[in-house]
Amino acid sequence: MKNTITSLLIVFVAYGSALAGGPWPQLKGNGYFKLSEWWTVFDQHYTDQGLIDPNLTTGIYNTSLYAEYGITNRFTTIVNFPFLSRNYVNNLRSGTTGDIIVAGDAINTIGDIDLGLKLGLTKPGASVPVALTLFLGVPTGTDIAGAEGNLQTGDGEFNQMLQLDAGKGFNLGKTSAYLSAYTAFNHRTKGFSEEFRYGLEFGLGLLSEKLWTTAKLNVVESLKNGDTAENTTNTSIFANNSEFSSIELGLNYYVSSNFGISASVAGAIRGEIIAAAPSYSVGIFYDMK
Amino acid sequence: MKTYPIILLALVSLFMHACIQDDFVDDEVDPILRINESIDSLEINTSYQYEATYLNNVGSPESVDIVWSSSDSEIIEMTEDGLATAKAEGSATITASFDDGNRALEATNLVHVGDNTTIVEQASIMGFIETTTFYDLEGDFIYEETETGTRLSFADNYVASAGLPGLYIYLSNNRNSIANALEIGGVETFSGAHSYEIPDVGLMDYQFIVYFCKPFNVKVGDGEF
Repeated sequence: MKNTITSLLIVFVAYGSALAGGPWPQLKGNGYFKLSEWWTVFDQHYTDQGLIDPNLTTGIYNTSLYAEYGITNRFTTIVNFPFLSRNYVNNLRSGTTGDIIVAGDAINTIGDIDLGLKLGLTKPGASVPVALTLFLGVPTGTDIAGAEGNLQTGDGEFNQMLQLDAGKGFNLGKTSAYLSAYTAFNHRTKGFSEEFRYGLEFGLGLLSEKLWTTAKLNVVESLKNGDTAENTTNTSIFANNSEFSSIELGLNYYVSSNFGISASVAGAIRGEIIAAAPSYSVGIFYDMK
Repeated sequence: MKTYPIILLALVSLFMHACIQDDFVDDEVDPILRINESIDSLEINTSYQYEATYLNNVGSPESVDIVWSSSDSEIIEMTEDGLATAKAEGSATITASFDDGNRALEATNLVHVGDNTTIVEQASIMGFIETTTFYDLEGDFIYEETETGTRLSFADNYVASAGLPGLYIYLSNNRNSIANALEIGGVETFSGAHSYEIPDVGLMDYQFIVYFCKPFNVKVGDGEF
């Protein structure tokens, strides 16, 4: 059993693409592709009581390819592939002598791949589109590495998540906007706690819809049915039964009609067994339409 | 479109610069000098070899030149190597001293010269552990000598958070560091009475119990002997 901040925070990347995803499947032959760098560096975390304690500085970096492609007007395939994932911990040194007490460590591998299939439950162009998505978390990353076994680029378990999205596009004056919501259940294996998830996303199209600003709330509620230190000796960075609420703010700017750049920042506003630090993402995307 | 290669390079550069750096722990402690095994009495016309340990400003043992002296050389005579010889009946204070340049350290032992030699026996030490974080950790303990080493026993009121992975217990001479500490093992009991058998360790070898989370590399709590 192990659970990682990596796997938990990848949520922000995998399902956090502001201009893709949501209840809007790609039309047949259309696609959305994104190359991004996501990272977080944290020296404190939320404890199992939701309070903040320090930890040795830890960094997680993922370079990922995210893709959506419309097979039909109703079916969209989704792939998130962190093809370069780095997890490191700093050296712990004596403040008195400068000697190393615990040596730092790092790994560089691929991360866990997420595969998804989205089904539009409503016809394209519906005023309130609804979509159902099955996500499969494939454990292609490394779940235990380093001298202390606390480095990882994946969680080592195969999870299946069913997500229901609904949304609506509308105008605020002359400005385009949308609001979407989702709820999901994440079934996890190998002693991981299962999760109930939900969230809201609001987007605003500015500069003639060249610039989309987004705000997103993600909530993960753990069912707290995973293993704990009482029944596992695993020393992964985080134990099981993690949960959080996070806010994500994003900017997506269309440089041309198809290409664009994106940037976002996200952070947990409350949590248990999760990093208490912001995560960042920058990327370039191609909106094939 | 020429900007995209630059952005790509920036992404790769960002990744590559995620280098291992240094975190520092405040681990300075007051150096101490202690006599390893004190005696209550020394049989007349016999000798006893003293040994002392100097723990430096991070609680690590360090070999230093210790000066040995007796308050009354006519009763107990000391050599510069710490060999005490009882010459006459009475009492004398044996002092081990060391000056590290910043401070003079001393450890003393009041000894009666009599019919036999008796070593000071401390059968057990009682104390309690407490958390230094927001994770639960508390409980009373007894630390006692055994035939093979020591035993650390926790009482019924012991509780530790199971929400934290990789919790380990150490014996250390620095409550803020596990450098030069003795790792007893991973914590497997999270509530109630339990004990650890620790071979080849003396009761006075360490000053603190330290609970340390290996994955986070931080101290979670401690107790003092």
